[in-house]
Amino acid sequence: MEYRPAAELLGLPPVMKTVFRHPPEDLSGKRYWRSLEELADTPEFRSWLERELPAGAAELELDGVSRRNFLRLMGASMALAGIGLSGCRRPEAYIVPYTKSVEWLVPGKAVLYTTSMPGPKGGVPLIATTFEGRPTKLEGNPLVPSSNGGTDLFAQASVLDLYDPGRARTFIRDGEEAGAQQFDAYLASVAKDLEATKGAGFAILMEEQVSPTRDRFLRKVKERFPESGLYTYNPLGFEEHDLAVAALFGPDIALRADFEVADVIVSLDSDFLGIEQTVQSVRDFSRRRRVHGLGQDMNRLYAVENRYTITGGMADHRFRCAASQIPAFAVKLAKEVAASTNDRVLNAVVAQLKDRGTPFDQVWIKECAADLVARKGKNLVLLGDRFPAWVHGVVLATNNALGAFGSTLRVLSVPRVKTSSLRDLVADTKARAIKRLFIFGGNPVYAAPADFEWGELQRAIPEVVRLGYWFDETSSPSKWHVPEAHYLESWGDQRAPDGTYLPIQPMILPLFGGLSQLDLLAKLAGLPAGVEAIRETFKTFNQESDFESAWTRFLRQGFAESSSYQAAKAEFNPNALPDLLKTAGPPPGPVSPGAIEIVFPADYKIYDGRYANNGWLQELPDPITKITWDNAISLSKSTAKSLQLQDGDLVEIAVNGRKLQAAVMIAPGHADYSLSLPLGYGRWVVGKVGQGTGFNAYALRTSDSPYFATGATVNLIQKNGHRLVQTQNHYSMEGRALVREATVDEFKKNPAFAKTVWMDAEIPPNVSLYSHPPLNAPNQWGMVVDLNTCIGCAACVIACQAENNIPIVGKDQVDRGREMHWIRVDRYFASAEGDKNNPHLEEDPEMVMEPMMCQHCENAPCETVCPVNATVHSEDGLNVMVYNRCIGTRYCSNNCPFKVRRFNFFSYNDRPVMDRVEKGLPGFQGKQQLYLGPLAPWGMDELSKMQKNPNVSVRIRGVMEKCTYCLQRIETAKISQRVKAGVKGDLSLPTDSVKTACQQACPAEAIVFGDIKDPKSKVSQLRTLPQNYHLLEYLNIQTRTTYLARIRNPNPKMPGAARVGNINVDEHGDQRHSAPRAESEMDGGNA
Amino acid sequence: MANIFPRWTNHLPIKIVFCLLLLSCAASAAYWYYLTPEYMRVGYQPVQPVPFSHDIHVTQLGMDCRYCHSYVEISSHSNVPTTQTCMNCHTQIQSTNPKLAAVRESWQTGQPVNWVKIHQVPDFAYFNHSVHVNRGISCVSCHGQVNHMEVVFQHESQTMGWCLNCHRHPENNLRPIDQVFNLDWKPGNQESQQQIGFELKEKWNIDPPQNCSGCHR
Repeated sequence: MEYRPAAELLGLPPVMKTVFRHPPEDLSGKRYWRSLEELADTPEFRSWLERELPAGAAELELDGVSRRNFLRLMGASMALAGIGLSGCRRPEAYIVPYTKSVEWLVPGKAVLYTTSMPGPKGGVPLIATTFEGRPTKLEGNPLVPSSNGGTDLFAQASVLDLYDPGRARTFIRDGEEAGAQQFDAYLASVAKDLEATKGAGFAILMEEQVSPTRDRFLRKVKERFPESGLYTYNPLGFEEHDLAVAALFGPDIALRADFEVADVIVSLDSDFLGIEQTVQSVRDFSRRRRVHGLGQDMNRLYAVENRYTITGGMADHRFRCAASQIPAFAVKLAKEVAASTNDRVLNAVVAQLKDRGTPFDQVWIKECAADLVARKGKNLVLLGDRFPAWVHGVVLATNNALGAFGSTLRVLSVPRVKTSSLRDLVADTKARAIKRLFIFGGNPVYAAPADFEWGELQRAIPEVVRLGYWFDETSSPSKWHVPEAHYLESWGDQRAPDGTYLPIQPMILPLFGGLSQLDLLAKLAGLPAGVEAIRETFKTFNQESDFESAWTRFLRQGFAESSSYQAAKAEFNPNALPDLLKTAGPPPGPVSPGAIEIVFPADYKIYDGRYANNGWLQELPDPITKITWDNAISLSKSTAKSLQLQDGDLVEIAVNGRKLQAAVMIAPGHADYSLSLPLGYGRWVVGKVGQGTGFNAYALRTSDSPYFATGATVNLIQKNGHRLVQTQNHYSMEGRALVREATVDEFKKNPAFAKTVWMDAEIPPNVSLYSHPPLNAPNQWGMVVDLNTCIGCAACVIACQAENNIPIVGKDQVDRGREMHWIRVDRYFASAEGDKNNPHLEEDPEMVMEPMMCQHCENAPCETVCPVNATVHSEDGLNVMVYNRCIGTRYCSNNCPFKVRRFNFFSYNDRPVMDRVEKGLPGFQGKQQLYLGPLAPWGMDELSKMQKNPNVSVRIRGVMEKCTYCLQRIETAKISQRVKAGVKGDLSLPTDSVKTACQQACPAEAIVFGDIKDPKSKVSQLRTLPQNYHLLEYLNIQTRTTYLARIRNPNPKMPGAARVGNINVDEHGDQRHSAPRAESEMDGGNA
Repeated sequence: MANIFPRWTNHLPIKIVFCLLLLSCAASAAYWYYLTPEYMRVGYQPVQPVPFSHDIHVTQLGMDCRYCHSYVEISSHSNVPTTQTCMNCHTQIQSTNPKLAAVRESWQTGQPVNWVKIHQVPDFAYFNHSVHVNRGISCVSCHGQVNHMEVVFQHESQTMGWCLNCHRHPENNLRPIDQVFNLDWKPGNQESQQQIGFELKEKWNIDPPQNCSGCHR
């Protein structure tokens, strides 16, 4: 009998069981990859990938805890449980009201205050959320004209520092605890003494800060004690830049780049989107990067750098160049610009410097210069802060020739207090001129140039008083250590990078009775401290007659109106250039295997080392290298090959007679024979969190090589000598076209290119087998992430951590893939293989950042596999995770195509994550105390508890968790609308009234959240854009988060321009990849 | 027969019966313990540090709930009054009453009064007072007639099922907005409560969440 399917016999359409086979990756085209292991598809990478999700985190055996030890522990815990049984009734709890009612405070409701965070380039305007007097979360202040409400990741993480259990708590004199009164008495005697000597032998060493009140106090101190000395030191200072500006423009001048005006930007190792960023620079750059219409008004960015930086990742054209060669590159660029503009000054500069050797890609420089000249007055050449002053002179002259001053580079008048540098202090100390030194903040013993031997020098000063937030390297050799108050605990003021006057308001009294810099200076200056001091300074910014109402408004809106820096009268003075250029030494030879250079960039996470004890920042994967809890020497693959090194090898670098051992890591996109080792790690007097992390790059850094040193040699000490923990292979995507990009030209030809890439080109009609509850709520939540403006700074990751009570897990746990971040930033490298003309492409890839969090699929794969309905859908389209239902099978994580679910293995919030077992149980030594189970101390530190957001559950172990779209914020908005509506019954939320934590923190405005049902909402409008696409659309999961494809803006005349962003579409606009291959099985059965 | 069953099976039936008996005892004990209102703490009436009588203050003196629980309409949390609130009156009235010694001591020392918590919502459930009282749910629906309590006790089980009963059928508890703080208000009979409830539900657009995300974050 002829076989016929049952369905056919019954006249029904054939039932298809569609099995998707992800097509094998196309090997001839461009590939996205996260690590070299992935690119090479090594067996280690395969096994890591295929083991389990999240990547091998599950096996207890792997942790080295044997079955026997496990049973021993369980026995102990049963015994303890027996003792505990008597207490199985709910314990008695108490309600403890205030005795006196507190002004403005409503129990259960957040109170918001404006404040700002001090930073070397100026204050970051902030709004602090406080619950019952505890600041828990910081947001940018969108009222300030130069801010959009975004922040950098340091501002987000700084609230954790406030509650750092390791912060200094007591006054210490000569190594012994002393009282605040004793210090007061001492300070009074000092003031008397200074009065008599007019301050001879007295000096203050500070960090750079832009605080008008501090400046006022310093002037007063100098007036009272004219013989005293004021010194500033920033390890990542910009003295060289300031020196050049002072020479060419005169004193008290600062330059500010206006990225909103700039069409073409050339960054010569200037990380203006990364470590040298201000919120404003990122905001303005993104505004010109965002694709409106067909991308007519997009800016173009050229980057020249030795290692991949955040700025380099955003570049349309990137040139790998050793840092020591960048001055030569700047001169070559100046030469090309001079040739085509025929600028007299620039010609003179080029003539004076002649040729500094080192051949570069001539076409690259020529076309880049041509592009700059073509947009005269709308272009910008930026140089990294720490290059020598003469190079800044060359770059400023280039900008002058290009007509940047007054348009893209604003010349502002910035009055400052005159201070001397650390170099002067060293000289004065050696001359025995310093008898008494006050050190405010900073950490010079750790971070001063190695050749200053500051640690030894400081001991030679008879009296050192150190005001420090932590008891650190500088505190130990000081006579007095004074605990410093956090900026959230004290009054102060700042000027934003654009000059806007900002208040610093205290949110809480100093937790450990610390003093602020202003408190201490006020005592020396004999002026009132605290709020009186700020009111006094505010008078100079206030233009209104009614002071009290102006003051109230100043605090309420968080800035003083029209207080930004005035444009300066000063003009570019080319006459100073020849002298400045004379300081240029002989050009360094080219880098080679025998003459390697080493670069000391600031760390993206712990800056100059000041955040070393901040667990959030330590655990954050570095935006580029994805290393956590460490730094490493990064180097290119061919350099590693010629030095015969591999990831994790321990090497010794010798440069200028100084030596350091550190681990190496191969970094794609790195310049050859150039090494980069971020500063800030390897601290030796530091709290629990920072102990044993990384290698101290300051040991190699001398005063004449603040940014890079040449002529280094590298020797292998131990193969695989250090375990580097990176997150880049965790949660791999196996190349499934998750990021999509094109160039502007291709985008113009085919605006909807992103919708037809790869498997999405031909999606067969999909029918969901599962029914889900109707999505009929008035609001339907969704999110759009713009890959075009996302710079990958990871401020969103920290913001999410602060908002959602996400714990840290420690290096060992991250190594097992157990990090808890709800949002991660995937960093993909993209390279075209098989390009015969450029065999080094793999070493010079492009980079794309993609924030990845729960996509809130409407047909969520996680929901269908949960045996206990712990993850369900809400009517407003949220994929809800119900912690109290979850039994921890982890099926959901297994079935999640994005690997965004996190399993809490050890109650990380309640366990001593940073503590290790010293002695006791055999087999446990050196392990994290987490493994002791019930024998480990339980409960959160009282101080850490204070940071937790009371509106989010603190999850325990054995429970899945994931991004909730900040459900607490949605619910708060819904509830307050209902409260407002009362009996009127109008429940519709105002458009765009809910913001998620990641969205709010993003300075680039790359994340937009809102109601996709409301056509007026921003998210709905973005979803209608042609470059909007869903991830893995062919799986019919119907994600609520969508992405805007990345559009690059290459200059067609540049070498390699055809390659840029050209991944998804060929010249004809067709999708490059093959259509999905589906395998059909006819539903057979007996006919 | 002896060849079929070994010797040890002789006592097996007794053993089985004994085990079953034990199991059923355990089951009924568990049932008795965990499923009665006792377990839900209905009737939980701890001794408070101050013998405060809601009956005197509300029913006899006619004070409004919101004099002391002042933020109940705007906050998630219904605040317990500060010592200052008590002392607003008790510096004048009953200023030497020994029952108020703890309050006076708190006022002098600045140490707060530790009131024993009666209604304990678990940490993972987020209850919001303001949204309930502003939308026609009276205090009495969850707390019982506190205005007549000499010493406050837990009146309702406050389990999730109990919450959901009302979230599914809010008409059983809705009342005119001006009667929310009148704990003695009665609709007349069950029928008229339903009638009023349905009417208000329609008019005020009442849509209590039944999804997990409504209360669990």
